[in-house]
Amino acid sequence: MLYLPGNGTLHRLHPLTKLVGALLVAVAVTLYPRPPLLLGALALLVLVALTTGVARRLFVIALGLLLPLVVSLFLIQGVLFPPAGAVAFATFGPFRLTYEGLLFAALIAGRLLTIAIALLLVLLTTHPADLVAALTGAGLPRSVGYALLVALQIAPDMVARAGAILDAQQSRGLAVGRGIARLRALPALVGPLLVGALGDVEERAMAIEARAFLGSGPKSSLRVLHDSAVQRGARWFMLVLMLALIVLRVVGLRGPV
Amino acid sequence: MNSISIANVSFAYRDTRRAALRELSLQVAEGQICAVVGRGGAGKSTLCALCAGFIPQFFAGAIRGSAHVDGQDVITTPIAQLTRHVALVTTNPASQISGARFTVFEEVAFGLENIGMPVPEMRSRVEWALGAMGIADLGERSPFALSGGQQQRMVIAAALALKPPVLVLDEPITQLDPHAANNLAALLRSLAGQGTTILVAEHRLDWVAELADQVVALDDGQLIAEGTPAVVFGNPLLAERGIRMLRTQRVTPKPSPTAAVTRAAPLLTLDSVSYNYPGGVAALRNVSLAIGAGEQVAMLGRNGAGKSTLARHLNGLLRPESGQVLVAGQDTRRASVASCARHVGLVFQDVRNQLFARTARDELRFGPRNLRYPPAKIEALVDSALDALGLREVADEHPYDLPYAMRRLVAIAAVVAMDSPVLVLDEPTAGLDTSAVERLVQLCQQRAARGTSTIVITHDLDFAYAALDRVILLDAGTIALDAHWDTLDAAQSALLDASVGLPSGGLGVQPPK
Repeated sequence: MLYLPGNGTLHRLHPLTKLVGALLVAVAVTLYPRPPLLLGALALLVLVALTTGVARRLFVIALGLLLPLVVSLFLIQGVLFPPAGAVAFATFGPFRLTYEGLLFAALIAGRLLTIAIALLLVLLTTHPADLVAALTGAGLPRSVGYALLVALQIAPDMVARAGAILDAQQSRGLAVGRGIARLRALPALVGPLLVGALGDVEERAMAIEARAFLGSGPKSSLRVLHDSAVQRGARWFMLVLMLALIVLRVVGLRGPV
Repeated sequence: MNSISIANVSFAYRDTRRAALRELSLQVAEGQICAVVGRGGAGKSTLCALCAGFIPQFFAGAIRGSAHVDGQDVITTPIAQLTRHVALVTTNPASQISGARFTVFEEVAFGLENIGMPVPEMRSRVEWALGAMGIADLGERSPFALSGGQQQRMVIAAALALKPPVLVLDEPITQLDPHAANNLAALLRSLAGQGTTILVAEHRLDWVAELADQVVALDDGQLIAEGTPAVVFGNPLLAERGIRMLRTQRVTPKPSPTAAVTRAAPLLTLDSVSYNYPGGVAALRNVSLAIGAGEQVAMLGRNGAGKSTLARHLNGLLRPESGQVLVAGQDTRRASVASCARHVGLVFQDVRNQLFARTARDELRFGPRNLRYPPAKIEALVDSALDALGLREVADEHPYDLPYAMRRLVAIAAVVAMDSPVLVLDEPTAGLDTSAVERLVQLCQQRAARGTSTIVITHDLDFAYAALDRVILLDAGTIALDAHWDTLDAAQSALLDASVGLPSGGLGVQPPK
């Protein structure tokens, strides 16, 4: 779970507002990969991150996620295989640095970075349950929302269970060695994990049915999402803007350059 | 008016020939507590599932007869509608967690959200339910980060929060310590006083006898006795069918092993062992202990006293931060868990984390094979462990095809087969019927006679009194009491009573003849 509790402006925004905002940023930088727009968007997002108190975590995750990608982009596009016809401004043995290659790499990296940071900002400042509640409110089927939340929590639970299984089987003299020995230990470790997971599915299905999950009629939610006319207006505005950007781009492609 | 009215119901699960319920009829009046008793596989859980509509709607099968709960036909009314009339809590707390909620408070509110209760009322309901189950302080914890006993209280709270006219509980106290079990009984009595009808299936007959207005005994899907607790438990047919309380009278008060024996040949020694959980919470503080050959030890203490942490030190799964643990003279810090297993066998509570083989016999072979015993010895050990736990007849069956109690005995037999001088069992009697518990009593008696030791972590004082000799009470990570049943003085038994309770039959030791 990425969520960091907090009480900044971004934390208090309705999840859909944040999500639509991030989507708008993603659409804009995808369709209009111009350096000024990219730099502007990045600067804005970094500013937001700094004021929200999630900047440190954001940069750690963004770097861990994207650094290898960005580095290989620069190596491949900028140094090893520059675009055809590009003119080198410096050469090191077989490697040629070209302005076009570097620009191309920078644009792709900038887009990825901007989109990732926008989405991470949403996830870091929105509790997953709030996000799913907002999406369910906007028409996502409840069962899909349930599956999303269960998936988030079951993974750590499975890890804990795997640890308990390892403890139980080691207590029966199972030596978890290396190589082939480790393979031999596999059935005793994986078997209980699978049987347990399958059994849980049935029992959990029964348990949520016993608690009216499949009941018809109106539902309520303990998580109160704060929305406002201003935010609703902003969401519509951003959606219209997004649509306009798409239309302009399509028309622009057809029309004279 | 009867809240539960079942007439001539027979039911067989799909793909089975044997009927799970046969011509069962039962009436429970509003505001009454009806307890269902019977051996494992007698049909108790099926009856509970029937009352909440899960049979035949969730578990398909052939059904005859009629069943009404709170005026609703539970055979035909959709489960979703029945949830306003009846709430069901099944046996395994961990797998009843919805998984879609991040705190205990939200988890308990899950059902209320699903019926669309307004938030202010929902909050007060959840607060009430958590308070009633004594877990108000856990509201902000993750449901997955709770102990088994805490999870059991949470899933019961989740059912209570729905304020159902009829409440059905299938083995609600398997993981509760005696205090929590007593609190639950008091709560159920008060709910019944306010008009809630309660059906509860439970193996702990002493608890049932105190609680219920009415008891029905099932055997092989049939009702064999019905009436007040006194009438039903006085019926000789029950004992004949294996439904009886554990004999807590100690048969022959054995002289406690002398301290000299313990000192001369300790199989297991803990010397000033301390251990902190990550985060700095002290789990064990300066625990010293020696286990001699043939000792049968009860490890008692309330939830969170450090019992499981201590057990994990006995075979090197955890290593002390200070002090040392010697297993057969070897420091666990310099030995692998697998090599400690030769001397100390440990059986955990959740059998699902252990069983994986196709037959019970294969499951039993796994441990001795890991210890690289010769094939002939392995077969001999497996046979003797099967006999010790009465499993010879089911040796070639798949462990998961066996009733729960048998499956648990298979898990225990699988470690017994390793022939380790020390056997550690974590809550072995939870969810077992009396005849299975009696097997474990016999196992401990056999081990005492053979000079091998058993350490049992348990909340089950009756079992501890019937099967074990030495009593160790853990409290907040320290040993609060280390004595023998037969020599407990008044102050020691008062301490025990205040912490975990006393055997239901008291400490009456018959004078040796």
